[in-house]
Amino acid sequence: MTTLQAPGQTPLRPAEAGELEKATEKRNRRAYLALLIPGLLGLLVSFVFPLAYMVRMSFNRGAPDGVIEETFTFDTYIQPLTDPYYWKVTLDTFQMGVTVGVLCVLVSYPVALFLARSQSKYRSLLLAIAIAPLLTSAVVRTYGWMVILGTNGLVNSSLTGLGIIDTPLKLTNNMTGVTIGLVEIFMPYAILAMISGFGRLSPQLEEAAGSLGASKFNVFTRVTLPLSLPGILTAFLLVFVLSISTFITPRLLGGGSVQVLATEIYDQTTGLLNWPFAAALSVILLVLFGLIIAVYQRLTRKIGG
Amino acid sequence: MSQTKLSIVDLTKRYAAGLEPAVDRLNMQVEEGHLVALLGPSGCGKTTTLRMVAGLMDPTAGSITVDGKEITHTPVNKRGMGMVFQSYALFPHMNVEQNVAFGLQMRQTPKAEQKKRVAAALDMVQLGHLGKRQTRELSGGQQQRIALARALVVEPTLLLLDEPLSNLDAKLRETMRTEIRSIQQRTRATTLFVTHDQDEALDMADRIAVMNGGLIEQFGSPTEVYERPRTHFVANFIGQANFLQATVVSEVGPAGAGESHYKVDIEGLGGFGAVGSAGLSGSHELVIRPHRLKVTVANAADRDAIKGTIERVSYTGDALSVAVKVGGKTFNTQLLTSSGDLPRPGDTAYLSWSPEDAYILPVNGKGPAS
Repeated sequence: MTTLQAPGQTPLRPAEAGELEKATEKRNRRAYLALLIPGLLGLLVSFVFPLAYMVRMSFNRGAPDGVIEETFTFDTYIQPLTDPYYWKVTLDTFQMGVTVGVLCVLVSYPVALFLARSQSKYRSLLLAIAIAPLLTSAVVRTYGWMVILGTNGLVNSSLTGLGIIDTPLKLTNNMTGVTIGLVEIFMPYAILAMISGFGRLSPQLEEAAGSLGASKFNVFTRVTLPLSLPGILTAFLLVFVLSISTFITPRLLGGGSVQVLATEIYDQTTGLLNWPFAAALSVILLVLFGLIIAVYQRLTRKIGG
Repeated sequence: MSQTKLSIVDLTKRYAAGLEPAVDRLNMQVEEGHLVALLGPSGCGKTTTLRMVAGLMDPTAGSITVDGKEITHTPVNKRGMGMVFQSYALFPHMNVEQNVAFGLQMRQTPKAEQKKRVAAALDMVQLGHLGKRQTRELSGGQQQRIALARALVVEPTLLLLDEPLSNLDAKLRETMRTEIRSIQQRTRATTLFVTHDQDEALDMADRIAVMNGGLIEQFGSPTEVYERPRTHFVANFIGQANFLQATVVSEVGPAGAGESHYKVDIEGLGGFGAVGSAGLSGSHELVIRPHRLKVTVANAADRDAIKGTIERVSYTGDALSVAVKVGGKTFNTQLLTSSGDLPRPGDTAYLSWSPEDAYILPVNGKGPAS
């Protein structure tokens, strides 16, 4: 670094120059922080405050008539943590998240890989088509699936018409229907997340592996798959989080027989007006998120190694 | 003893029907142990040719033969070639050793031998101490060496280098040039080398294939393509050149190696001596390299010298480029600087050259390669 100095001034010794630099850095940092304030305020009002309010709410006591008693009690937590019903709901929620995440990743991966590698002039168009379902609301698509999967729906009437099955399969009002619906609904997110996570994947690496004698299968298992793992993990995490927090699809396609944390929270909030209990369940759901994100971070650090 | 390692016959690549072919009936024979540079401007088909030899691209027509076996449609992983990519294409999820060992693993070489050969390959590129490093921690030059080690460790039938030096800075490029050449000579790996840099090609290659528009314009040793260019394109692409339009007056006598001395009439300047391949007649282009022109400021005794005016002088330290205008024609000349006054624009200058340095291009315009 060259130090500019006025004539007649003694040049700065390196130590002094270093201190000066540090001071400038400090001032710069303060300026940057100032720029962050509007954003931080927004976050505080729209995110931190509601979340804090919710946590506080979870320690209140809810009366059956919807009256909220301001207090500080752990009752709201003791009930879900001791009642086997809520254990089952939590476990079902987790299981649904994992199943939907895995299936969604499996069906989205080929699409994402194709889109990421395509050199075609139609690539943008194909990408637009792949994410076009996002333009319709999940509610509409869920109703669509109810029609397709219903007892007299497309799937069952085709299968019975072809004589493959005698009695219609039960594809709605259960976890199967919810899973099918959620996988399709979250595919666009999974595809987008994967494509953005395929940064290190390049056709040249696959060519290099091929030129070194790797068969198509080995190119995939030794190069393509390991390099797309970050994208796969991100997509899984996203779909997992989205599916355990959604309540429309489980409610509609589950037809009341599928109980997950999200539907339970919805019922408690709007049906039973037990806000403290709903808040406690929300906190449990948050902890579940936190757990899976911790695992995700450990995994990404490992494969990013 | 020389043996043909790689033989390319009528190789053609057309990306789409109706488009000009990227490579058009290309023919080439590469001798065992040679380093051949595919040299040409971008879009000349050199990389396409390399990729077809590597098996990364399917030819539209023609054949590729290595060691007497036709491999035109053999899949890339069965060709046993080593390729170094322009971007090096090191696997980012593997460390240096794992990268180098990849080809051996694919060949199911025993573990102990793998270890020995990886170590030897890394030593060869002087990076034996970096085996456990992650590739992203390495500098461009080091990555380049790893890529080279990874390609060579499998003892490839052919080593293919796709512009391997273009991502390095000028100083490093020079070092790597020498190093790649010396490793290539030690391993005696028959090598195809794609480059757009004529200096690289002249310095490193045993043979240069000068490519243009999907064709090889000339295939020859560095001195051949520089001293005896077949076409205007070759003379113009490799080094600098003054082109003069001339008519052959008479063939004076043999000059050795199938060449003759000629008497030619240069347009607007009169009769001069020149050399060219035997049996030429009619109108041809004459090539004189700028530094083969003698420029004197004082009135020279040489009666053949032609008088002109200095138009432009550019000084680059050790060399001096002087443009001399004679009639309507500008000659570019190049001199080594010496102490004393520099010539100035507007000064009178006398140009002369020896007949051996005026070469008659055998092919007029863009001609087919032999």
